[in-house]
Amino acid sequence: MAVDQEHFVHLARPLAPTVMGFAAGSAPLTVNIQPQAVFSVIDHATRRDIRDTQSTRVIGALVGTRSEDGSEVEVRSTFAIPHTENEDQVEVDVEYQKNMLALTLKASPRETLLGWYTTSHELNSFSALIQNFFASPETGTFPHPAVHLTISTEPGAPIETKTYISAPVAVSPERAAESCLFVEVPHKLLFSDAERAALGTVTAAAESETRAAPVASDLESLAQALEAVSDLLERVSGYVGEVLDEERDGSHALGQYLMNALSLAPKVSSTQIEHDFNNHIQDVLMVSYLANTIRTQIDLAQRLATAPLAGSDKDGGDKREGAGEDGGKHYDGGRSGGGGGGAGRGGKRAGRTGAGARAGGGGQQREAREPRENGE
Amino acid sequence: MVDAQKDAPFKSAQVESLVVMRIVKHCSSSFPTTATGSLVGMDNNGVLEVTNAFPFPTIDGSSADGHQTDASSLAAAAPRAKANVAYQNEMIRHLKEVNVDANNVGWYTSATMGNFINLSFIENQYHYQRDNDKTVALVHDVARSSQGALSLRAFRLSAEFMAAYKEGKFTTESLQKSKLSFRDIIVEVPVIVHNSHLLTSFLHQISAPPESPEIPLPASLDDIRRDPVKLPAHPSFDTLDVSIDPFLEKTCDLLLDSIETHYADLNNHQYYQRQLAREQFKISQWQAKRKAENAARLAAKQQPLPEDEWQRLFKLPQEPSRLEGMLNARQVEQYSKQVDSFTATITSKMFAVRGNLLPE
Repeated sequence: MAVDQEHFVHLARPLAPTVMGFAAGSAPLTVNIQPQAVFSVIDHATRRDIRDTQSTRVIGALVGTRSEDGSEVEVRSTFAIPHTENEDQVEVDVEYQKNMLALTLKASPRETLLGWYTTSHELNSFSALIQNFFASPETGTFPHPAVHLTISTEPGAPIETKTYISAPVAVSPERAAESCLFVEVPHKLLFSDAERAALGTVTAAAESETRAAPVASDLESLAQALEAVSDLLERVSGYVGEVLDEERDGSHALGQYLMNALSLAPKVSSTQIEHDFNNHIQDVLMVSYLANTIRTQIDLAQRLATAPLAGSDKDGGDKREGAGEDGGKHYDGGRSGGGGGGAGRGGKRAGRTGAGARAGGGGQQREAREPRENGE
Repeated sequence: MVDAQKDAPFKSAQVESLVVMRIVKHCSSSFPTTATGSLVGMDNNGVLEVTNAFPFPTIDGSSADGHQTDASSLAAAAPRAKANVAYQNEMIRHLKEVNVDANNVGWYTSATMGNFINLSFIENQYHYQRDNDKTVALVHDVARSSQGALSLRAFRLSAEFMAAYKEGKFTTESLQKSKLSFRDIIVEVPVIVHNSHLLTSFLHQISAPPESPEIPLPASLDDIRRDPVKLPAHPSFDTLDVSIDPFLEKTCDLLLDSIETHYADLNNHQYYQRQLAREQFKISQWQAKRKAENAARLAAKQQPLPEDEWQRLFKLPQEPSRLEGMLNARQVEQYSKQVDSFTATITSKMFAVRGNLLPE
């Protein structure tokens, strides 16, 4: 799943003098952004310090991986950097950035600094200053271009993301530090399969009034999915019905698409289905049964192991010993306890063997079990 | 479990989506190696808000000291490693500067099919809970999440277990006295996923349904293919997948592992029982001998020898800890519950498939 822009014109940008043998960044560059990076930028934006600074944006660093030829970068995580900004100057906590980068890279050694983000679309001379800091050879991503990600967090407006790389450009050498040419590059929001499940839960939370939702159990999420599917089917059949009743104009393309989808239904003989169904359901129920048997056995084992002594004393018939003289008391107690425990264990072992034999129906379990049973 | 929840310092764990995404990302990228990290947040009126998370550094498994090179076990032990405590403090100090809640509220770990209940888990959580009662362990089950529904659960140790673990005694006797059973070791805390306003609007944006019901009809099949309908992320249709065998296979493997553990535990105890019986036999022999001796001495009008000297002479073997067995029992319970819930969903799916393919 990827949310991306379809059409994009790559603009060539003026190149900086580079080191020998390295053709930096004339190739198109694509930026893949992982959702957690965006999430953490948004989190940072909501935690912005409004007391002692006039800036309405926050900045932070982008960390991630770069493909070997440098044509694709993947933003995996971000961290916030404190900064203050007013009309005529901007201060970025360089020390903080250095330390935090070191800490982040310690946890994920394969990632590198990629660039920086801010939470407004405005590109001004401060942006250029910071961009040059992140692109510089000592503190930044040189010789690779530094990526600049902007996410608008204006209330009431859609959240937009843009990515840029820059080229040095200046009217005079003195102004070089604070000017650069930002060139927009395409970017994608990339969701891996693993994140889809998480995104589902997160979206469920987004759809509720309180912006919170519990993590649904398997059965609940199945029910929700089934409901959604049946709604969708309802909608499609409603549409088809309307077309048939000539209430709406039909679409050949949609009709073809639906036909194609319907023809995907497998043609299997009913006996085959019945057979497969029975086999699988038996497997499932068997494993479920086994798991519960094992649980009961082990539960029993635990209970017997710590069963109160009174019970086993009665069973063993040697109750009289317990109340003996002071010195012997500990030892008698120990013995009768041991006896009780032993008996419990013996009984349970028999039970376990039974379960093992039943499990043996599956095949390899039996082989695994056999030598053990003989060994005892 | 219900009783234990009453006196818990918080009722539920409210996890920010950011944390969910970070945990999922970290755990799935390092799968199948265990991944662990730290959680920060704050406690707010009985709700533990987890607002940020960061991974622990991975220690290079092939380091020179050679005795423990398994990356998974190293990562599992990471939360209580000394270097990581320092790392965590350093990280929290830095996060504080950018207005992130600077309290440690626990840690997270990844799991495969719920196989997280082990000694390492207990030790980690004990390590956190000892210093601060309001800490939680988030467990993200990578294997189960790949089936469609996110599996993120929060656990903490019960107060009784904390007390027992502090003493470090898990003998039959102490367990009888404290009535601690394997069910009381960990308490599950309900997890609630929470979004900020800004994030809510962002989420609505990435998976927005078409704005009006009247969308232009496609002109050709290619139009549909080129621009496939973006399915909303919730509810996820991955849960409708009818794959059975991998799950069953894995469950059987894990159950067999548990049985092995159970056997090992059993053998330990049997060994102990034999050892104990042998010692006790020796003691009773000694006592009988001493009694006879004393009787003889009494007859000879001599001072009887003390009869409790055996306590010095013989040493009863130490009873092996019951903790391992209890954890194993809890683990099996976890598996079987998991299978139950799997059975519930898969049978309904299978009946649905059959009903569809075999019209009456």
